[in-house]
Amino acid sequence: MIRTAAPRSLRSTPVRPGAALAGVAGILVLAGCGASPAGGAADTADGGSSAAYTDGTYTAEGSYQTPESIETIEVTVTLAEGVIEDVEVVGNPTKPESEEYQGRFIGGISDEVVGKSIDEINVSRVAGSSLTSGGFNEAIEQIKTDAAA
Amino acid sequence: MNPPTTLHTWRFEAIGTAWEIQTSALLGAETRAEVAALIADFDTTWSRFRPDSLVARLARGEGSVPVPRDAADMLAAYAALSDATGGAVNPLVGGALERLGYGPGYRLTAQQAAPAPSGWRQIVSWDAGRLALRTPATLDVGALGKGRLVDLVIALVASNAPGDIVVDASGDLAVRGAPVRIGLEHPYDPARAIGVVTIADAALSASATNRRAWGDGLHHVIDARTGEPVRTVVATWAIAQSSVHDAAMRADAIATALFFDGGPRLAHEWGIEWVRMLADGRVEYSPGSTAELFSGASVE
Repeated sequence: MIRTAAPRSLRSTPVRPGAALAGVAGILVLAGCGASPAGGAADTADGGSSAAYTDGTYTAEGSYQTPESIETIEVTVTLAEGVIEDVEVVGNPTKPESEEYQGRFIGGISDEVVGKSIDEINVSRVAGSSLTSGGFNEAIEQIKTDAAA
Repeated sequence: MNPPTTLHTWRFEAIGTAWEIQTSALLGAETRAEVAALIADFDTTWSRFRPDSLVARLARGEGSVPVPRDAADMLAAYAALSDATGGAVNPLVGGALERLGYGPGYRLTAQQAAPAPSGWRQIVSWDAGRLALRTPATLDVGALGKGRLVDLVIALVASNAPGDIVVDASGDLAVRGAPVRIGLEHPYDPARAIGVVTIADAALSASATNRRAWGDGLHHVIDARTGEPVRTVVATWAIAQSSVHDAAMRADAIATALFFDGGPRLAHEWGIEWVRMLADGRVEYSPGSTAELFSGASVE
């Protein structure tokens, strides 16, 4: 989703397991398994394979390309005891759609949604991305083990 | 609102995820066996992850096979998705996913991203009783296949069990009868919900980039034009009323389309309600959305 700005050419190098945790997506997905300090070029250079699980606040500039433009945002992640405690995103990563498009096909847009604890909202089920199977989870565990080594 | 205690719950794992079927009438062993066989048949046909599947045979160069039951409906829906998203959704994306590591054996280490073959409709044909690929490629029906399977399963269950039914295939669910209140899981924190919605006689599909993900921005929703994972939208939910033909398949398809430009327009054309969360935490919704969203002001 949002990645420390790295020259496009760097992206062509094979992804090492350590580097796999450098992106914000990695942090969010593998919450609790650590993250590397996201400090611009140094982050991608050392791959962040050491010092995983270090608590603190990390900030990264992210940029990515949409079909029409290059968008930039700044992401700050706070880790406490190896778990994500806070994520803050500054910027506007979506290109504005035309007003006509918004009115006809998009009903509206909210401010940032923080959400509520599922325990409090009295639902009979929850819909999110599919739960993953044993094989996928084992592979993720292997990546985490490699990354923490 | 917890389900009444009279509901019977059947849980199992299939096609790489968790399933739960709730019915007010008890499902007999024979019906369960039929459901299991239906799912197994779908998996044997469409799974990219098993070497004996029909799509694996096509990927290995077996030019054509007898057209499977679900091919025409699913590929027609892919054509609509592909048109609506400017080619971002493409059923030949399987090879691009495998390059990123999401393929048989779950290698999960990425090679350089590569786009899916463009012009897929010149490569894939499904007429004259044959499903054929002009050149070997990996078909991937991930944009709507699980929704299709949910449609098939709830139809089979309904023909055997009167009353209320919920088929929840983890991310794709369908409801008949009594309304069900559903939390929209926060993609950054599975213990939270960004909102709730109540559905009855409808299908709801959710998609998010948080679980089938393996680091460095790598996850299973990719733009076929680049072979790169999407980044602007992080979670989507789509609701199709049962009156919509192939409701769960279309909800699943729209949940995929909403990661791209053009998704909201196709949802409008198909009459599908939706919600999507952007990477910065803001949430967009369809005109007439009935979901209650917990936006910044309502944090507890």
